[in-house]
Amino acid sequence: MSMDAQLIEHMMNPKNYGTLEYADTQGIGKNPENGEKVAIYIRVGKDEKESYIDDIRFQAIGCTTTVVAGSMLTEEAKGLNFNGVQNLVEATMKLLDRLPPEDAACSEMVALAIKAAVDTYEKRKSDPDYPTITYKIVNSCVPKDDNTEITENQKEGE
Amino acid sequence: MKTIMIKTHEVWLATLMAGFMSKTENKQVLFDFSDILFRHFTWLENELIELGESYNYDRDAIPIKVEKLSDLLHDIEKRLTEIDLQLLSSPDKHLNERITTDIKYMRDVLVHMKDENITAFGMERKFPGIDLTVEATDALTLFLFEETYKEYELIMIYNYLKAHSSDAYLNRIFQILIDESFFHLKSFGDMGAKMGILAVPRIVMKELYQVEDVVQFLKDGINEELAAKEECKKLSEAVAKDSPELEKFFDFINHQENYHISLMEDALKHFEKVNNG
Repeated sequence: MSMDAQLIEHMMNPKNYGTLEYADTQGIGKNPENGEKVAIYIRVGKDEKESYIDDIRFQAIGCTTTVVAGSMLTEEAKGLNFNGVQNLVEATMKLLDRLPPEDAACSEMVALAIKAAVDTYEKRKSDPDYPTITYKIVNSCVPKDDNTEITENQKEGE
Repeated sequence: MKTIMIKTHEVWLATLMAGFMSKTENKQVLFDFSDILFRHFTWLENELIELGESYNYDRDAIPIKVEKLSDLLHDIEKRLTEIDLQLLSSPDKHLNERITTDIKYMRDVLVHMKDENITAFGMERKFPGIDLTVEATDALTLFLFEETYKEYELIMIYNYLKAHSSDAYLNRIFQILIDESFFHLKSFGDMGAKMGILAVPRIVMKELYQVEDVVQFLKDGINEELAAKEECKKLSEAVAKDSPELEKFFDFINHQENYHISLMEDALKHFEKVNNG
């Protein structure tokens, strides 16, 4: 991770860190290799047409890079409608190949946690007791030749 | 009682951070006060356990970015006053009295503390008197963020385990590990302040301290200590050329991890022995 002032600011004061009282949904991104995980909490807002992220928080069992990725991505996700969130997740997944392995794994974990929270919300519309979805990452902290597409194997708790 | 414990957790950390920021004789006083506040936190926690109330270590974010020490000291005084008022409605009068008399004295000292200009948030990332390369500076920066959090996390985990154990042998080990982590946290926090990157460690997730499998936790902990040794070794090598002083310090921290590993191995053996009858 090369360091500039913006990055250090995210390390010193991560945005949106913690839990969210009265969250409407929650999602988990997990690294099956080492047990690291990110939990996302979302309060959903609704206007006439669509649902959007009214507020968002995250917590992490992981390294500083994960916290920085969580801080950046949750800031970007705040205020987006669900289509916008989907685009943000996809754009992040496409960027992973260009990142160093440890950064890719951390960013993937946050992106998948956000996706898991939105997917959990959608599932709970028809089944309020639907469990919190967990998606497992495929990127490793060490280089290997996996793709980063979300597959059925990545789902847990469904 | 739960709210008082959370507020005490927050003021303990705020006072510890004030200690890191200080460059004068205030520093040791603030460290001593933060130690006292940590003890208040553990007393309140034990009270909650005795009352059978559920609790966790969640807390609010603690804003500490100030230009003058007095700004943070005012905030600490305000927090202490709030705790003092809330203690009035708390059931254990003896505990309240002990805490209240401490708070009264601390507030009086804080009011008269000499003010200082704060440089702990400048992000210069220059260690006083030492010129590090960009690579060594980045490595040290990342290490300080990772390890400051890690030591806080360990304090919270061992504290929780100790609070929920009545085994004297294990509690002795947990207390030593808490003390060791406090020393490391204070060392790394001080370095962070000198580098202009001081930050409050993030909130620890519940599942980390509400340990379901202590044996597995200890085994994982030993592996983490081994990894921490490697990190110290790498950092010691990265700074060796520019600073023999920092090299020696990180070698010292590396060697201390051996003691932690040995204590955790003792705890593991003891725990397995007790559980196997």
